[in-house]
Amino acid sequence: MELRDAARKLLEEGTVQGILGYRRGSLPFRTRPYLFRNPEDIEDLIFTPFCTVNLARYLFHLPRDCRKVAVVAKGCDGRSLVVLMQENQVRREDLYILGVRCPGMVDRRKLEERWERLGEEEVCVAGETLVVRGVAYPLSSFLEPSCRRCRHRSPLVYDVLLGEEAPLPPREDVLSELRCLPPGERWAFFAREFSRCIRCYACRNACPMCYCKECFAESHMPSFLHPSPTLRDTFVFHLGRAMHLAGRCVACGACERACPLGIPIATLFFAVAETVREHFAFEAGMDVAALAPFVTYREDDPDACIQ
Amino acid sequence: MRPLWEPKIVAFLCHWCSYAGADLAGVSRIQYPPNIRVIRVPCSGSVDPLYILKALREGADGVLVSGCHPGDCHYLSGNYFARRKFLVLHELLEFLGLGGRVHFSWVSASEGERFARVVASVVAAVQNLGPSPLVKEQEPYGTP
Repeated sequence: MELRDAARKLLEEGTVQGILGYRRGSLPFRTRPYLFRNPEDIEDLIFTPFCTVNLARYLFHLPRDCRKVAVVAKGCDGRSLVVLMQENQVRREDLYILGVRCPGMVDRRKLEERWERLGEEEVCVAGETLVVRGVAYPLSSFLEPSCRRCRHRSPLVYDVLLGEEAPLPPREDVLSELRCLPPGERWAFFAREFSRCIRCYACRNACPMCYCKECFAESHMPSFLHPSPTLRDTFVFHLGRAMHLAGRCVACGACERACPLGIPIATLFFAVAETVREHFAFEAGMDVAALAPFVTYREDDPDACIQ
Repeated sequence: MRPLWEPKIVAFLCHWCSYAGADLAGVSRIQYPPNIRVIRVPCSGSVDPLYILKALREGADGVLVSGCHPGDCHYLSGNYFARRKFLVLHELLEFLGLGGRVHFSWVSASEGERFARVVASVVAAVQNLGPSPLVKEQEPYGTP
């Protein structure tokens, strides 16, 4: 596998002190992020359509002697890295971006819902089809929600780009269904979803952009919300986060996958990203030199919502 | 007859324009609905969207944020930055189905009349929507 060869070479030549990548998890379809430090371990490095975790998050947990690290980056990891570089959280020269062309990530929960006791060897992805127990299905209907609306599957900033180019399937917008509903029903939907939230903060902890040492959710001076999982506190938490992610969220969907209750929380961030794209012509993670939408302005910004 | 329920509205007014505008409305004895609770802020650009969310969390049925007209900011560009934040928050609340509760306006220090009109329209809009769905529920926890 060319990814393993490239990674082994980087470690052996001492270009980097570690490779941030994926290895097999202990349950079927699970993969786990892993920092490969020995060339002998590279045998375990994998890249499958189940490598959903956003590795940019783990840059904040590196051991101190790992000065330069190579990151296996799909499109969304690559965009996250760009935002982190934009915000001076990581330096380009400390990174080696092992770009991989992503086929789209398969939603493990969908497979487990549909088939019982499915083994990993019974599933394979070939181009645009997903073969399960010898029967072919269209891959697009089993993709993660974030992958179904993905625009850029390969990273835009990288040192090498591996893998074969796969055509981008038509985007399925998970937002348009919601946007068609009347406002009352939309709020009923979100109120129902927010009420289920237990405020474990797993979504925030999985988010590569949520690197603040002290989060507003846990701040006491000033305090914005109570830690109790009531509707109004949950509302402030998710909306506050959505505002903080405006123009920064790269729509990787890590929050949604981390949620133990399966709340479709990324829809909020997708909606914000859409607003930013539409009104400020800005997409997060495209260009290291670009100015984030909230640190700049134009005199002719839209002001239709202002009296 | 006025309806029994009166909305509570938190108004963040910028010190240099809208607060002075509100003052002018008062000095000129212009009548406007008494539903707003004014919080004076240095600039509309200093209004973090979290302030607005917190106001809603604490039981406000609506929020008004008002600052200087574009180009008139005392700090030169505060209201331009504010405008971007407001637009995103406005669209997000709209998407959630909570549109019509958070309002933004530009009111200068000489526009007492206009301030009264803005407040009246905000109160009317929020009154139409009814109590905030975030305060309807009786919850055991108070102010954090």
